[in-house]
Amino acid sequence: MRRFLLYAILIIGAIIFLYPFLWMLAATFKPEIEIAGFSIIPRQITLESYRLVFRKIPITRGFINSLFVAMVVTASVIVFGSMVGYALSRLRFRGREMIFTLALVTMMIPAQLTLIPLYTMMVKFGWVNSYLALIVPAMMSSYAVLLFRQFFLSIPQSLIEAARLDGCSDWRILFTIVYPLSKPAIMTVAVLTFMGVWNDVLWPLMVIRDPKLMTMPLMVTLFAVGGQAEARLGVQLAAAMLLALPVIVAYIFLQRYLIESIASSGMKG
Amino acid sequence: MSARPMRRLGIVLLLASLVGCVSPRPSKIMSSDGRITLTYWSATNAQELEFANQIAAEWNARHTEIQIRVEPVPSGQSTEEVILAAIASGTTPDIYANVFPGAMQDLLDARAVVQLDEYPDFFNVMHERMPPELLEQYRSFDGHYYQVPWKSNPVMVLYNTRMLREAEVPTLPATYSEFLAAAARVTRDRDGDGRTDQWMATIDYYPIWYKRLFDYYPLYLAASNGQKLLDNRRVIFDNEYSVRVFRFLHECFTRGYIPRQSFQGDVFLDGRVAAKFTGPYSISQLERYRPADFEYAYGPIPRPDDAAGQPVSYADPKSTIIFTTCRQPREAWEFVKFMVSKQNDLRLLELTSQLPIRAGLLEDQTFADYFKRNPKLVKFAEQLATARGIESIAELKEIFDAIAQEVEASVVFDLKPPEQAVHDAARKSQQILDVE
Amino acid sequence: MQPGRANRFSTLSKAVAALRTRLHGHAKVLRPNDSLTDNTDRVGYLMVLPYILHIAVFLGYPLAFAFVLIFHRWNIYTPMKWVGLGNIRLLLSDPLVWRALGNTLYFLLIHIPLQLVIALGLAQLLNQKIRGRAFFRASYFLPFVISGVVVTILWQQLYAVETGIINVLLQLVGLPKIGWLTDRRFAMPAIAIMATWKNVGLYIVLFLVGLQAIPSHLYEAAELDGASGWQQFRLITIPMLNPTIMLVLVLSTIGGFSLFIEPYVMTGGGPANSTLSGILYLYKQAFFFSKMGYATTIGFFWATIIFIVVLFQRRFVETEAM
Repeated sequence: MRRFLLYAILIIGAIIFLYPFLWMLAATFKPEIEIAGFSIIPRQITLESYRLVFRKIPITRGFINSLFVAMVVTASVIVFGSMVGYALSRLRFRGREMIFTLALVTMMIPAQLTLIPLYTMMVKFGWVNSYLALIVPAMMSSYAVLLFRQFFLSIPQSLIEAARLDGCSDWRILFTIVYPLSKPAIMTVAVLTFMGVWNDVLWPLMVIRDPKLMTMPLMVTLFAVGGQAEARLGVQLAAAMLLALPVIVAYIFLQRYLIESIASSGMKG
Repeated sequence: MSARPMRRLGIVLLLASLVGCVSPRPSKIMSSDGRITLTYWSATNAQELEFANQIAAEWNARHTEIQIRVEPVPSGQSTEEVILAAIASGTTPDIYANVFPGAMQDLLDARAVVQLDEYPDFFNVMHERMPPELLEQYRSFDGHYYQVPWKSNPVMVLYNTRMLREAEVPTLPATYSEFLAAAARVTRDRDGDGRTDQWMATIDYYPIWYKRLFDYYPLYLAASNGQKLLDNRRVIFDNEYSVRVFRFLHECFTRGYIPRQSFQGDVFLDGRVAAKFTGPYSISQLERYRPADFEYAYGPIPRPDDAAGQPVSYADPKSTIIFTTCRQPREAWEFVKFMVSKQNDLRLLELTSQLPIRAGLLEDQTFADYFKRNPKLVKFAEQLATARGIESIAELKEIFDAIAQEVEASVVFDLKPPEQAVHDAARKSQQILDVE
Repeated sequence: MQPGRANRFSTLSKAVAALRTRLHGHAKVLRPNDSLTDNTDRVGYLMVLPYILHIAVFLGYPLAFAFVLIFHRWNIYTPMKWVGLGNIRLLLSDPLVWRALGNTLYFLLIHIPLQLVIALGLAQLLNQKIRGRAFFRASYFLPFVISGVVVTILWQQLYAVETGIINVLLQLVGLPKIGWLTDRRFAMPAIAIMATWKNVGLYIVLFLVGLQAIPSHLYEAAELDGASGWQQFRLITIPMLNPTIMLVLVLSTIGGFSLFIEPYVMTGGGPANSTLSGILYLYKQAFFFSKMGYATTIGFFWATIIFIVVLFQRRFVETEAM
């Protein structure tokens, strides 16, 4: 009996979390009048909602923009984060502990404080309406630094010593020896950064006005808030669905890695 | 010695950031044959775009060396915000035709607009259109002129006369009592399902600042006979007129004459609402979409019963400006002169049913035929004489935002009495002005 | 609910960092073998240089500039105007700032307990021997990875007064329809429920990890001592999960104070400012009225409040590391 109750609750939970997405998926294929219904199988299938979305906004362009920005930022965060993480964990130099403290402190600064001053800087630099505003301020992350540092501390010193004796520079060591051993950390940083950049809306909303440069979430947001959807539910949901699709697809294949990397790197030293 | 992968990555990142540097900018085109193309931003509604395209086409045919390219204003939160953002990112056009005079201060502070009275024929052209006293309203604080007053839309009340007749309302309401009496008759449950489905009027009560320019502000002007909101950075709208306006609106909402819901589609056109606060631009829309038996007429803004004199209203004016980023301001000025010529003022009327800011419209022969064909516009042309503009101060939006918040709180949601709401709006506005 | 730009990392990595600290003691700093040569690794300087520069330009300078902006009136295109304490005075008497604060606290009051109960409850259930744990875990976690915009648009439809599924369900069981986004009393709770739905998956996963780390012998010992299931829960599970609970608290709080896209898309801050959030108000001041100085003042005030609240939580909720 208990087991039945247990499964019942879990299944109800799964329904609560999954059903809305299924409903949304179905609604994007339903004609406008049918949308109000519960069913996740449309009686009539129409592509009109999607057609309208593609006609009204350059959403594929938005997708490419998001992809481009997210990939560049993620690559940058990994490279520079790992460099600092390595330096802080494996190298000796004056001020090392100070920089470590600095990284900790920077994490405590809430974004709300620097949002507007940073925006005014973008205006002054002339970076508004350019990829620069989306990429450069996000190129480095103190979290990545700390994460890498933590992880690199667990790499045996002997490996590094041996490489040094062989005449390898620290640059070589980092990229050819440490990297292959750090797949979990790199994956975690990659996933977190990519997700964060992909889903960010507030900053792109502030710095990008030109539809050619907008990221996908920004485009969908403005589409929903502005009058372009002509108050048609199916169209708004279709735009949202398109935005969610890449993430859902990636999730279906990667969710194991995603969840497990979070869980297991909690277990590692 | 740097590791090879490191260098490769560095190059990739460098290239990536360089790609980002290449952001699209509209080119101030000077093509190889010496032709100049000026960009002209028009409002996005179909009628104004049609007007813009027509005058541009006519101009382009006559002037091969100076071509006009029409573009609709980019979309955004509000056109003011779009313009400021364009200034910030250096993507301004050469000519812009829909500037709200109340927002001129921002543009002046940004040094974004060309001083127009530098041109020797400025005053000639202007005085041909309007008397000096009228032009005076558009003079900026430093004594110069940076805008050409172009069109104006006095706000009045649009009525579905058939609905009024069916509800046995004898005349178009002119005072609060008349309006409320009419509302009592009109608002009812038509199909007997227990819910009201026919109302007197509808207002977009979302606290967006410029919406109040179409209800609170005209009502205030009508009630106070044209008194200003501010006097030299001191709030003076904290008075009985504001309170009466708030109380009037509050009455309408409380009794359900104005519904507290939002609707899909145009409720006025659907015949579900008998009145709407709007300007003459609605006429061209109405003519295009109304069913054959739809009858309508315009009435004055309701005012307190004891008000006297000619009814006053707010005229939503728009001006044309030339941005300082324009490299051929002289040529742009020639086009602007063409835009406000008598022929094109007539064209403006014909295409958009919006009034050009030109004195003596009703007496001028050129327009006589138009007004004969469109008698409804006559009322607007008359209203133009007693219509007021609006203060041009940097804090205008915030003050109206404060008023809009109080309207929502008191009139719509009944959270505080009208006197308190007016007082709070005035206090907040004064605090905003006092920050300096 | 997406935390702000700099905080987007914090959600998961803080989880990681805190858990690691909790389970394995504080990070040991391995010192390179001192018997090697005493020279300083100059490479280190090169490696940290870009990072230091970046922080100086994109974090340090804005921070310093923020302190300047607070005392000025500025719309970017015109010279800054000194207003002294004007912005601060306006902020302290601005009813909308305090409204936003109240709204946020109201949000947290609903969101946090809901989140804790659901996350802990479902994690407990998932911790049992069941089939398909991976599937359930993945389902609960899905809304977390989806963009806040998608969730907001979706729930806007679910909350629709006439046709929304939630109201249809309510009517099925005989309850009256609720104006979720149109009624002042329900708008913020509506957003709180949606935010819970979106984020609870993360915390389920975290609690699951935490639960699995609790040594079973503790429970066995308690069982032998005759402790009931509820007592075991209260005396073993909760204290052992304290760091995770702390994490949920802090992250949810920061998230609640960073609320922007939900009110922006769903309600515009209404009705009657009942869903106005601090960041939304900041955004409006900066982009509708071009008041950069005042917007920065709001940001500063908001950051201070967050700091105080989190400090408060650390003081009264966090227990010592065992």
